Amino acid sequence: MSKNENSSKLNRRDFFKIGGITAAVGAGALTTFPQKTAAKELDKRLVDKIVTTHDDFPVEVRSDYVPPRNWDHVQARSFFVNEIRAIGETVEDDIVADGQAFVQKMNFAYDNDKIGYNQADKALLAGAWAMNNYAAGPSPAAVPNFGVNSWEQRTDKVQFALFDNDYVVKEKYQFESKQEAANQIKRAAKLFGADLVGITRRDKRWDYSKFLNPVSPLFRKPLLAPPSKEQMEELHNWGPDKFVNDWSDFPFEPKTVIVLAFNMDYEGISTSPSFVGSAAAGAGYSEMAKVPYQLAVYLKNLGFNAVSAGNDMGLSVPYAIAAGLGEASRLGQAVTYKYGPRVRLAKVYTDFDFVEYDKPKSFGVMDFCKNCMRCADACPTKAISFDKEPSFEPTHDNKDNAWYNVKGVKKYHVDAKKCFKLWGELGDDCGICMASCPYNKPDFWHHRLVDSITAAMPGPVHDLMREMDILFGYGNVEDKESIKKFYSPEGKSYDGH
Amino acid sequence: MIFTGIEILFFSLGVITTLATGLIYYYNQKLKFNISTWISICIGVFLFIFGIAWSFSSILEGEPRAASMGLIVFVIPSLILLLLSRKLALKKAASK
Repeated sequence: MSKNENSSKLNRRDFFKIGGITAAVGAGALTTFPQKTAAKELDKRLVDKIVTTHDDFPVEVRSDYVPPRNWDHVQARSFFVNEIRAIGETVEDDIVADGQAFVQKMNFAYDNDKIGYNQADKALLAGAWAMNNYAAGPSPAAVPNFGVNSWEQRTDKVQFALFDNDYVVKEKYQFESKQEAANQIKRAAKLFGADLVGITRRDKRWDYSKFLNPVSPLFRKPLLAPPSKEQMEELHNWGPDKFVNDWSDFPFEPKTVIVLAFNMDYEGISTSPSFVGSAAAGAGYSEMAKVPYQLAVYLKNLGFNAVSAGNDMGLSVPYAIAAGLGEASRLGQAVTYKYGPRVRLAKVYTDFDFVEYDKPKSFGVMDFCKNCMRCADACPTKAISFDKEPSFEPTHDNKDNAWYNVKGVKKYHVDAKKCFKLWGELGDDCGICMASCPYNKPDFWHHRLVDSITAAMPGPVHDLMREMDILFGYGNVEDKESIKKFYSPEGKSYDGH
Repeated sequence: MIFTGIEILFFSLGVITTLATGLIYYYNQKLKFNISTWISICIGVFLFIFGIAWSFSSILEGEPRAASMGLIVFVIPSLILLLLSRKLALKKAASK
């Protein structure tokens, strides 16, 4: 009998013993601490190490910063040319031409020989945008007080409506604690369809200082009753002197802004630029028309004033940063921890303030942006800055006449004029920068892991990560195969089986 | 659909991990690994399992190129390390 045979038998038995004991101890530990599993604890510790929480707004703002008006951007000065001129503001011919080309192509044109721009793609785009167009109208161009985003704060039900809860109830609901209020509001937002939600204090720096709304009040909402004599008179007297409002016209003093983010379809955005990519954005805009309105009605039924907003009312990106949803980036959009820049943002303004506010968080995006520049490389019109460091003033070619850039905030300034030129050429809202961003990934564990490792690493590793991202085939743009992939039933279960 | 790909992936990873642990235990009893063998084998097994997880996940998310790159970047080095471990372990056993 050799020594080896004896030890082999003993070892095997020992092996099963060790395995059995380990399994029993593991199972026991899991049942004893069901809320504190190893994975949960590990995840929390890692996230705490990677995510930095800030007490103040994490981007430098100069003292001479002035909040913009809602027409200080290229879309407004292109889509509302006559109205802008009527209030005595200037318009630029090239921007007007780009806007007209964009509207013409997006609304009326398709080409059955062009992949991503045929009639079926156009139909997809139309369906995706439909809810926004019907319910929130010009909100994407930052025009407030329209449709579901009405400023109206009724205190009674509409007389002729069978069901109507869109009014501020008399009794104010008392939450037991601020945390309970935050938990319930966020849960409600999730139920209605938000993917991310954060709550922050209203900050006048991020609100538009004045609002252009050329639509007559009678046509801002579906008529629930025949127009009254006063409404007809208002329509008759409607004119440029009434196009501009400011905060003195707003029905209450907002104290809190609830910021909502909606994840856009990964495969859809990957097709950018195309009508399919634009449809992915449009589906996000339709969510922006629906969910904030539902949350506003929820707050009204808690007894508080509330107004929902998409792109209107204020700047969504700084509000999203303040509410802890994301970080600033080179491409000018908020980059979220879970979905990267592939989100649409919306807001609800309310006077409810008995709530636990979120704090801004950062997780290394701006550091990564310093070295990456994939969006800047991918942008066909080079509208995105190649500067290493962010700056308070725009540095692009049109910097001397960059009335559309917010100055005094330390960030990367995008040349919106160049960006909009491409919109006019394509007839859709591009999205190449978003599709090319290394933070734009499907929601899978390995991307969260890589993002976390990247956040903990210094600059030279970021260069490597950027190159690896390209090698691994992520962030390809203008890839016609992506359209086929979007429509392919492969990997999708339509009947749920 | 009862099991989606991700459940099958993590079940398979559990099986591979268990097998790897068992094999390491068995061969350590037989060949008595030294420190360099241990380092090489541990990194090799970790990279192999990570590579399989990466590539499978990339296929599930519809990124076949990322899956192929996962095999090249993680799995091939892991196989090289495992072969090196084998060589180191056998060399030590032969030198006794």
